Amino acid sequence: MSTLDLTRLQDELRHQGILMSFSGPFSHSIIEELGKAIRHYLESTEVAGSALMDVFAVYIEQAQNVRNYISRLEAGPEKTRLAGSGIVVIAQDEQRYVISSGNLLDRTDAPALTAHLERLRSLDKAGLKALYKEQMRQPLNPQGGAGLGLIGMARKSAAPLEYALGDVDERYVFFSLRVVI
Amino acid sequence: MDSLVIEESRSSPAIRLDAGARGLSISGESYPENAAAFYAPVFAWLKTFLAELEPAAMVRVDLAVRYLNSSSTKVMLNFLDLLEQAAQDGAQVIVNWRYDSDNESILECGQDFSEELTALTFNLVEQSQEPP
Repeated sequence: MSTLDLTRLQDELRHQGILMSFSGPFSHSIIEELGKAIRHYLESTEVAGSALMDVFAVYIEQAQNVRNYISRLEAGPEKTRLAGSGIVVIAQDEQRYVISSGNLLDRTDAPALTAHLERLRSLDKAGLKALYKEQMRQPLNPQGGAGLGLIGMARKSAAPLEYALGDVDERYVFFSLRVVI
Repeated sequence: MDSLVIEESRSSPAIRLDAGARGLSISGESYPENAAAFYAPVFAWLKTFLAELEPAAMVRVDLAVRYLNSSSTKVMLNFLDLLEQAAQDGAQVIVNWRYDSDNESILECGQDFSEELTALTFNLVEQSQEPP
């Protein structure tokens, strides 16, 4: 988009039902501010309190996951590229809310993440609760990352978690995650 | 022993730990940048408090959180585990988990915790939402 005319971008956002999106380096204060904005927006609509808190909760978990993961990788030389790779999108699809996130993922981390997500996708609500309880007892990683976030999202999600791994280069893939409330 | 008071922020709860009254309260939302670091003083305080507690003393714990992120959930379980241990050792520990009627997630979270705890008394207390 080389001109100042943003109508195409706006049309695209509207077409996809996107209420809010952030793409770029996440800081804790950005996560807080966007969380406040999405809650104010949802409070102004007719959405039920429980759905509002679920959308907010999934947004926070996704944004903090992206931030925590990227800050662990950031020590390397590709700091700026990695930091800028995070994205979180909140969209409305008729009566549902869709919260999605994405970030660059080191290829070596992909198999474990895929296995974890496939396991979550195979479990019903009772199975997810049992796994959540088990993981709740595991010690907290001091860098953040409780290992509980994805399980919690799967418990809240109206449909199995959807994810995709897109080819980027020799070192990275792009991880996308989609949760429906 | 001094009280520990931490004021509420957008992503961290208000904390009031009163040794004299043996009353502990946490209220608000919890998704701090680093939950382990944020709650470290709370654990330091609680461990000292419980070590100095007279046998069979009563401790009242009021938890009115509206949201816990996943790290804070683990921290809260650790917090409750310490109180559970005190209850097993003879203290009378009463936890009131307060939830808004329209916040099912936090009710579910309270239920998850209550299933993990047996010696302390864990009450799920519904409250109608405060006016904005």
